[in-house]
Amino acid sequence: MRRFLPLLLLFALLTACGAPDAASTPAQTGARDSVVIAMGPTSEPEAGFDPAFGWGSGEHVHEPLIQSTLTVTNTDLTIGYDLATSMEVSDDGLTWTVSIRDDVVFTDGEPLTAEDVAFTYNTVKATSSVNDFTMLDRAEAVDSTTVLFHLNTPFSIWPYTMAVVGIVPEHAYDSATYGQNPIGSGRYILKQWDKGQQVILEANPDYYGEAPKLKQVTILFLEEDAAYLAVQAGQVDLAYTSATYADGAPAGYSLLSCESVDNRGINLPVEGNPVTSDLAVRRAINIGIDREEMIQNVLNGYGTPAYSVCDKLPWYNSAAQVEYDPEGAVALLEEAGWLPGEDGVRVKDGVRAELNILYATGDSVRQALAADLSNQLAELGISCTIEGVGWDTAYDRALSEPLVWGWGAHTPMELYNLYHTQPDTGSALYSPYANETVDAYMDAALQCSDLEESYTLWQKAQWDGTTGVTQDGDCPWVWLVNVNHLYWVRDGLQVADQKIHPHGHGWSIVNNVDQWSWG
Amino acid sequence: MNSNSRRATLALALLAAAVLLLVTVAGTALHDAAMVTDFSRKNLPPSLTWLFGTDWMGRDMLARTLAGLSLSIRIGLLTAAVSAVLALVLGVAAAALGGWVDSVLSWVIDLFLGIPHILLMMLLSLAFGKGFVGVVAAVSLSHWPSLARLLRSEVLQLKNAPYIRVAEHLGVSRLAIARRHFLPHLLPQFLTALVLQFPHAILHEASITFLGFGLSSEQPAIGVILSESMSYLTTGRWWLALFPGLALVGVVVLFARLGDRVRALLDPASVHA
Repeated sequence: MRRFLPLLLLFALLTACGAPDAASTPAQTGARDSVVIAMGPTSEPEAGFDPAFGWGSGEHVHEPLIQSTLTVTNTDLTIGYDLATSMEVSDDGLTWTVSIRDDVVFTDGEPLTAEDVAFTYNTVKATSSVNDFTMLDRAEAVDSTTVLFHLNTPFSIWPYTMAVVGIVPEHAYDSATYGQNPIGSGRYILKQWDKGQQVILEANPDYYGEAPKLKQVTILFLEEDAAYLAVQAGQVDLAYTSATYADGAPAGYSLLSCESVDNRGINLPVEGNPVTSDLAVRRAINIGIDREEMIQNVLNGYGTPAYSVCDKLPWYNSAAQVEYDPEGAVALLEEAGWLPGEDGVRVKDGVRAELNILYATGDSVRQALAADLSNQLAELGISCTIEGVGWDTAYDRALSEPLVWGWGAHTPMELYNLYHTQPDTGSALYSPYANETVDAYMDAALQCSDLEESYTLWQKAQWDGTTGVTQDGDCPWVWLVNVNHLYWVRDGLQVADQKIHPHGHGWSIVNNVDQWSWG
Repeated sequence: MNSNSRRATLALALLAAAVLLLVTVAGTALHDAAMVTDFSRKNLPPSLTWLFGTDWMGRDMLARTLAGLSLSIRIGLLTAAVSAVLALVLGVAAAALGGWVDSVLSWVIDLFLGIPHILLMMLLSLAFGKGFVGVVAAVSLSHWPSLARLLRSEVLQLKNAPYIRVAEHLGVSRLAIARRHFLPHLLPQFLTALVLQFPHAILHEASITFLGFGLSSEQPAIGVILSESMSYLTTGRWWLALFPGLALVGVVVLFARLGDRVRALLDPASVHA
């Protein structure tokens, strides 16, 4: 037995490593013009606070805080101005002319000019590994307050790109060090960054806009259970959490539930899978699942049904919404020839209605969604298994099997990424799908010179009355739920109204931290 | 050792084997029940209906634990057998053939023993694509060196025994010597080591699965159960970790006891050593 003692001890040790270390987090509460926030460890920007390496504009978009942007997204996700005072696009859609404010200075005292803007965009185009800037040819400063963007192809949603790129100073930018010591003109200054632990932001005294009400923002990077313990110990003012913890509100805190477009959905390959390649099956799944039940079961009620990748955003087409109709789903299947076999599983031409639903291993919400979906589909006569996979193989396997995905961004480009065919394969990127009409609408939307008008075209790409990607269209993806973003908020902290949160449970919450207050 | 205590030892060994067999059979039978998710019964603490409680997807933790143990035991059997046979073949080959074969094999054994065990298994599992194949390959390919070294030194000792030398001079082939003389002599060592490999194999299977390099997360494996339970401990769901953890320790202890008994029966002299 003694021989196994070390092994058992090792096991105990491994187990103990998961235990939170809340005691080491600094407690800095009490002062009423500061706030301490707990975010997940993945929210810490690996490459620092450099827009060229994804700060603000990476996979999870948010306002860069330390830098200013040309435009901003309003609460209804239309476009407003930050540095810009006007913008217009040429008739061919290839040249954007943006005028900027002349009263903005960087925190080192130097004025922010059109040269800095041009420098920033040329830099991110050359170096950004996380964002696609292939549509940009070059940026050019005409005078100190006017910048021209020369595009390779018309890109009507350029203002959405301008909303996430923070402007860096040309005179003080070195790609090797900028991420650690960013100089910007935004609402906050990076005062301290203890890697792996915390970031401290201080209000910029020279900010050109309304002065931030909160002078100091401390962000701790904690695992979810450690964040919960920190809340119980009263060490943080606001902490991210999930539905798992939601029913145990610690004293002095309440739960803030933010609506999101952080959706979860599955792809149904229209080719390469004998079951999902049948349109009737895809449509039956879309109306045969009870999204409300899923929200109760998996999210403890903290979510909204999802019908598209962009619910509630200006470019969403409400034709995507469907009613839960299990009888209708069964009728669709029977009509298409999927008849119940001896064991209750439907069969058509010798093909059994069997699906293997993949989910990212370690993501308990996606796993539970896959399990609930599988239970619901069993009632329709579609037999499912679920399987956890790593992201190293998930993308490849999703080309022939349904995978539980999470999307939701503040730009219509996401529709393009999911549904537009790729020039080399003639099929969409993540799941096999192709529809010329849908492609044409999205191409037209990008070429459109008017943003408002382009929303209509994005909507038509989803459903134009005869074809599209919705229930009555090709239905290549089925959307399940939007996951509400949950936070513990200390009583007295007034969190300003949030714009609908995108995918990524991180920096979005502090987009408007300058307007929060204690009351 | 008198015959009474031999009998008691045998009885204990049989009892341990019976319990383990029962767990294995019950777990195999419960495999499908362990995969069932029912959200109407999620997060229930232990009760008479759900002895081990249920998890966040309403899975029966008793069924999952038994299915997980059964999976572990079956993987343990397979990997212990593979690694013991590997050790026997390589250990005997190294000693009996000698020369460069011995040098190469001894070097390989030293190499394997030199790499930290968990690390070696993680690398092997990754190389074999994780999942069931990865775990089996990782555990079987990492456990043979110490036994191989033991068997090699046994054979080296035997080689100089008078009766072996006589056989050699009488012209008996090396293969025949290995089969007729070495193998029967090594059998007790081999069987004991085989049984004692089980607990190692089981714990290591659970460890690398816990660390995410082993079985896939939808499987009812003990490592998966324990790593999942970590996220729920702070919310007060103690039963998710406690019972499966205890059950794992129980099975490992049973196997260790079984191994001790087998050794006592096969090699009585060691008991007094």
